[in-house]
Amino acid sequence: MSVFSVDHLRVRFGGVQAVRGVSFGVESGRTLAIVGESGSGKSASLLGATGLLPGSASVEGNVLHRGQEILGLPDRDLRRLRGPQIGFVFQDPLSNLHPLKTIGDQIGEAISVHQRITRRQKHERVLALLDDVGIADPQARFSDYPRHLSGGMRQRVMIAIAIALDPGLIIADEPTTALDVTVQAAILDLLKRLQEEHGTALIFVSHDLAVVSDIADDVVVMRDGLVVEQAPADDIYLRPRQDYTRELLGAARLGGPKSYAVQRDRQATRPLLDVQAVARSFASRPVLDDVSFTIGEAEILGLVGESGSGKSTIGRLIAGLDRPNAGRISLKGRDYSQPGSGGVLPGDLRRSIQVVFQDPYASLNPRRRIEAILADPFVIHGTVDKAELREKVKQLVTDVELSHDVLERLPSQLSGGQRQRVAIARAIALRPSLIVADEPVSALDITTQAKVIRLLARLRDKLGVSFLFISHDLGVIGELCDRVIVLEKGQIVEVGQTQQVFERPAHAYTRRLLASIPGRKRPPAEAELEDVIYG
Amino acid sequence: MADTIHSPVALIVPRASPSPGILLLKRLWRERAVRTGAVIVGIVLLAALSAPVVSHLLGHGPMEQFEGTALDEMGLPIGPTLEFPLGADGNGRDVLVRTLYGAQVSLLVGVPATTIAMIIGTAIGLVSGFFAGRTDRIISQAIDVALSFPFVVTALSLLALNRGGTGQPIVPPMVVVITIIALFSWAYFARLARGLVLELRTSPMVEASRTIGASWARIIWFDILPNILPTVFVYWAVQLPANIVAEATLSFLGVGIQAPMPSWGNMIAEAQRTSLYQEQPWFLAGPGLALFLTVVGFNTLSAGLRNVLDPNRRRA
Repeated sequence: MSVFSVDHLRVRFGGVQAVRGVSFGVESGRTLAIVGESGSGKSASLLGATGLLPGSASVEGNVLHRGQEILGLPDRDLRRLRGPQIGFVFQDPLSNLHPLKTIGDQIGEAISVHQRITRRQKHERVLALLDDVGIADPQARFSDYPRHLSGGMRQRVMIAIAIALDPGLIIADEPTTALDVTVQAAILDLLKRLQEEHGTALIFVSHDLAVVSDIADDVVVMRDGLVVEQAPADDIYLRPRQDYTRELLGAARLGGPKSYAVQRDRQATRPLLDVQAVARSFASRPVLDDVSFTIGEAEILGLVGESGSGKSTIGRLIAGLDRPNAGRISLKGRDYSQPGSGGVLPGDLRRSIQVVFQDPYASLNPRRRIEAILADPFVIHGTVDKAELREKVKQLVTDVELSHDVLERLPSQLSGGQRQRVAIARAIALRPSLIVADEPVSALDITTQAKVIRLLARLRDKLGVSFLFISHDLGVIGELCDRVIVLEKGQIVEVGQTQQVFERPAHAYTRRLLASIPGRKRPPAEAELEDVIYG
Repeated sequence: MADTIHSPVALIVPRASPSPGILLLKRLWRERAVRTGAVIVGIVLLAALSAPVVSHLLGHGPMEQFEGTALDEMGLPIGPTLEFPLGADGNGRDVLVRTLYGAQVSLLVGVPATTIAMIIGTAIGLVSGFFAGRTDRIISQAIDVALSFPFVVTALSLLALNRGGTGQPIVPPMVVVITIIALFSWAYFARLARGLVLELRTSPMVEASRTIGASWARIIWFDILPNILPTVFVYWAVQLPANIVAEATLSFLGVGIQAPMPSWGNMIAEAQRTSLYQEQPWFLAGPGLALFLTVVGFNTLSAGLRNVLDPNRRRA
């Protein structure tokens, strides 16, 4: 009998049918992965099934927990279920942990809410749990606050809370999406180990088939509120039946990049940007130390590293949004960034270096229409004629493969991928020679990622613009970049041609990064899969 | 970081809607607090506008005394009658008409004072937040100093200075009251605006504008101002009732709006001073309830506006 199953589940928010009749189930000791893009209804169906949606949402269908119908149970009864029977792990551990309580208290609360327990017993249980989720020196960590912990440690604390009462089912909703690749690998290992030790049923929600490939026993692929395909993991990965599953598989980089950027003639590219011995520290904490590299004309240089490695700081220094403490940066032989204070870039250089930011939701002014946003660069640099402006903006929109009707819309009326295209359009408006792209695809769905990456490669070919492509995702770097720089704790540990670095990594850190890429155990089965998305 | 939107709220955002203005109004109207507040504020506005009409219909001017009809043989004011719907005050004046005119005074003082404070405070806060560093430190200190003055004492001293040799005010007292209230509330707007700007000036949105070479003025005008104004407007509605009460306080203490001109503050003061409200409760209840209703109305409205406009408080 299934530990947890939903049958013909429908979830509606106002006039929007988010989930339209979904059925799945999970048994003890098994892992069910639910995979789909944002808006596919994967989170809504689980939240709806466990009564965690606001009252304005209507949920219909059957939800069985150990054979007992739980849909429509009063809140009191559901609360008794959540915790002892069903544990939850969500995406962002920072916003789900109380900032003013110690982690020991928060884990202890998960126990004492449901059980009468003495203070001493509770303390011991919490220490055991911290140990269980792999936090070193639990005694010392007990009275730490969430802000003292790294992202991975916070997620371990969330998992400790979820397993505190040894529930029969754990629901993990994108638990590793906000984490670095090495941390992600460790968290996946942890979930798997805990599941094996306790025989827990696990429902794992993700947008990426690669992430769940090592952990899933069964996979449900969802799209637009419906189940597209539901099968054992082996079938999904080796013998996908639906086109959409193939498309997702095509976009997922199982075990590394599917293909490498075509090698270009290295002799032909002259150096464009030169970074010499740059160092930067914040409040006497060194972030970058003696960083030197060059970017050639029309070259895409990848910069990879984990959070805190200083990769975004390099981007900001090059973009002239910050100044180094030591060293200098020059573009086409002109020094423009040295230690000092005040504005960095003179007018003509300002045009030459543009930026695409990570979060397209934050980098576009929510109160201006796309047309106004895209006209800005031209207006600032002297175009006043209305008709001419409109032509230029239309051309930009065409360049980034959007239709003209987006011009009338506000950023909130666009999807994430469309927004990032608008941000890219703004960056190429002034025909820069270098674009700093700081994690430009990491906020996007995996299928959208592939499209935006191809767009960037095409823009490079068409406009001859160079990119500094900053990412924590090795798969994306491998597919797009000519060369790659690996950054660890503010220092460059490896530089080289992308394919060479990926296939013959020289530094131990690079090897560790590469080993953490999810999906190593399931190499892409068929080459023809790639044709679906790259054809 | 894909799929960061977890909450299904994103699904119910209407997609293809023509004008964001209409959409906003619809969202506002769906909020019960906004509806209730708007109705109460509407009633207050209507009352203020209808003052001359009611005055004409009843034939009672706001400062006219009807010693014959409105006072009984003992010289005490009469209670509510058909002719005097809320009764009369100690000088035989119509309480209803005076309360309605009082609404005019309250709004004529409160609205300009709050608006001036908003404009000055927002401008100063923008400068302070945007040009951080020394400018910011100096302005923040000035804000702290401004906030440390005790309101009533300072206001009393300033109003006392406004007396010429003959005891007549040099500047119209209404102007002085507006100035004083504005002086005492700009600092709150400045603090609010400073905080909002500090958050925005390092946002990707502003940095994106900087990288295309936008000037400071352009960034402030297009990126920062439109994004902080909703919050500032909400705060305007929060501050307005406080300022209406401030005017009533000053008038109550006898230094604001001068008798015989009616203001809720000086009406309440008069009722209290003469103890005539024990005979004629509406003498006190009329202006008192009107003040209460106005404050409740604006507070409800501002709470509702905040629910809708403040992105941090948006509910599922």
